[in-house]
Amino acid sequence: MPPFGKVLVANRGEIAVRVMKAVKEMGMKAVAVYSEADKYALHVKYADEAYYIGPAPALQSYLNIQAIIDAAEKAHADAIHPGYGFLSENADFAEAVVKAGITWIGPPVDAMRAIKSKLDGKRIAKQAGVPISPGSDGPIESLDEALKLAEKIGYPIMVKAAFGGGGTGITRVDNPDQLVEVWERNKRLAYQAFGKADLYIEKAAVNPRHIEFQLIGDKYGNYVVAWERECTIQRRNQKLIEEAPSPALKMEERESMFEPIIKFGQLIHYYTLGTFETVFSDTTRDFYFLELNKRLQVEHPITELIFRLDLVKLQINIVADQPLPFTQEELNKRVRGHAIEYRINAEDPLNDFTGSSGFITYYKEPTGPGVRVDSGVTLGSYVPPFYDSLVSKLIVYGPDRPTAIQAGIRALNDYKIGGVRTTIELYKWISQEEDFQKGKFSTAYISEKREQFVKYLKAKEQMKAALAATLYQRGYYKKATAITQQTSQNTQRKSNWKTYGLLQQSSYRVMW
Amino acid sequence: MKLLRISSDLGDNYVMTYDQKGNEDIIKFEDNEFKIEYIGPGWREGELLFKINGEVHRVYVDQGYIIIDDETIFKVDRITETPIEQGKSIEELIKGKEGEILSPMQGRIVQIRVKEGDAVNKGQPLLSIEAMKSETIISAPVAGVVQKILVKPGQGVKKGDLLLIIK
Repeated sequence: MPPFGKVLVANRGEIAVRVMKAVKEMGMKAVAVYSEADKYALHVKYADEAYYIGPAPALQSYLNIQAIIDAAEKAHADAIHPGYGFLSENADFAEAVVKAGITWIGPPVDAMRAIKSKLDGKRIAKQAGVPISPGSDGPIESLDEALKLAEKIGYPIMVKAAFGGGGTGITRVDNPDQLVEVWERNKRLAYQAFGKADLYIEKAAVNPRHIEFQLIGDKYGNYVVAWERECTIQRRNQKLIEEAPSPALKMEERESMFEPIIKFGQLIHYYTLGTFETVFSDTTRDFYFLELNKRLQVEHPITELIFRLDLVKLQINIVADQPLPFTQEELNKRVRGHAIEYRINAEDPLNDFTGSSGFITYYKEPTGPGVRVDSGVTLGSYVPPFYDSLVSKLIVYGPDRPTAIQAGIRALNDYKIGGVRTTIELYKWISQEEDFQKGKFSTAYISEKREQFVKYLKAKEQMKAALAATLYQRGYYKKATAITQQTSQNTQRKSNWKTYGLLQQSSYRVMW
Repeated sequence: MKLLRISSDLGDNYVMTYDQKGNEDIIKFEDNEFKIEYIGPGWREGELLFKINGEVHRVYVDQGYIIIDDETIFKVDRITETPIEQGKSIEELIKGKEGEILSPMQGRIVQIRVKEGDAVNKGQPLLSIEAMKSETIISAPVAGVVQKILVKPGQGVKKGDLLLIIK
């Protein structure tokens, strides 16, 4: 018997599709919600039913609590899965869901409230015996106060949004002048993104690794830690490549974290999934607690692959009162191999990772041994500028790290996306780079290697343009295409539907 | 020698000089040079073989798309030839209009930090654009005076749109 009849997924993109896959496999119906910009999106097509919830800006659609509850009631959904981002960690939303008589697929509302901000999380971490980094104990009221505290703990510091997530509102600051510069801007950004402008500061670890632990708990007080994920390869404090297990940890270092993390869970009566984010120093071998993320993470598939688990099904079963099906000892025995996730973002690495929106004019996913793709797009999909730039995730698996990297290189070569710029070419470069292959990196990896990969990517781009010039001058291009010589001023824009139709036609014609 | 400007479907512009010597094409960018030689048809129908800087690549052209080594895709939107101006060096020709600030992305203008007539230094923030949950600051690529601002805060822009001119 499936635990529920219908599950509404209050999200979009790849995570909505991923959750719906688990929902369908469990014999339940999947309900999608969508904004104006996502009318033709993959998650809408994939669902059994879909409901319109408002205009394109997230505040009016995916962050509109009432619109989502209304859709759930209209659909007679028994449960709501929030995915990640948007309302996934919003206790008010979880409470509204419960009040509407719908099951919330997430941690209990009280536990969410107990660690509502990152600062609450730090306080409980301290109580559970988890090491924390020096910084403010509460939100900082004024810039003056921030300057004084920063002087006391010493630069560099991190300025963070207390209610933040996904790297937004986090800035590294190296001196008082910079602090003055970023303060108001980050307040505004935090307010825009999370509805609350509270900021706090923390001492920044120099060249740390970002390692997170997967906590799983049930309603009966049973807890396990499904080891860790290494999320060190980042840009602007947002993850790009993750792997499990971490190439940096020894078994005893890993296990030293299990007890305090479980204690943390017990203190707030937490259940379902939680991710315990830490910074780890390669030199001192110390962990420092950052925050507990109260949701399914973007990078959950790498844990799923090495433990042969389905975390979404597990989440659903836990809220449906099932006990955990394994102990820590049994879970440890399940571990096999190494998994890597590449976040395929519609971004331009040559241009400081600026977003690249538009129609997907080509789309071909890699397949084969050790390859999984969690995608939110398909051929002809539109990548809107309103939301996150993540379009899909390429996850590769191998018996060990070098084999997983080789699978990654092969799969990245097989992954073809046209129409928007993506991070695929960058990942091909990283996967073959010496320090990455040796597992020697810190969160500064992307900024340290910038010059090298920009040079490589630029040369590759220019090579394509040079080839186009040759084909054109030698007459091959004219023969093969209907290209016209015209100046940029008289280029006419086609309607979106016309563009879509043409893309479909031309894409199917192309031979791979 | 010719001066070519290639615009891709993604809104990128490439300016290069083009020269043909026998079977070899020599293409120069500001920081890279490519020697491209046509070898002949490949194994498959429609496939062409080229030697680019000594390495052999397989190329397809279909419906305006160029597919290189079955791997990378490139689509040309436009190719324009510009007459070569006398007395200018290659570097000057390729550089194009230096003070034109183009939008690197589709998004919304959040803030404009300069006024027309302001003197700006190289690297000074000019304006910021918001898209896909992040704010990008556009800085001055050269020092000069802001001659014209063509956008307003709140305005939506596309990649390649002219935002501002520095003289």
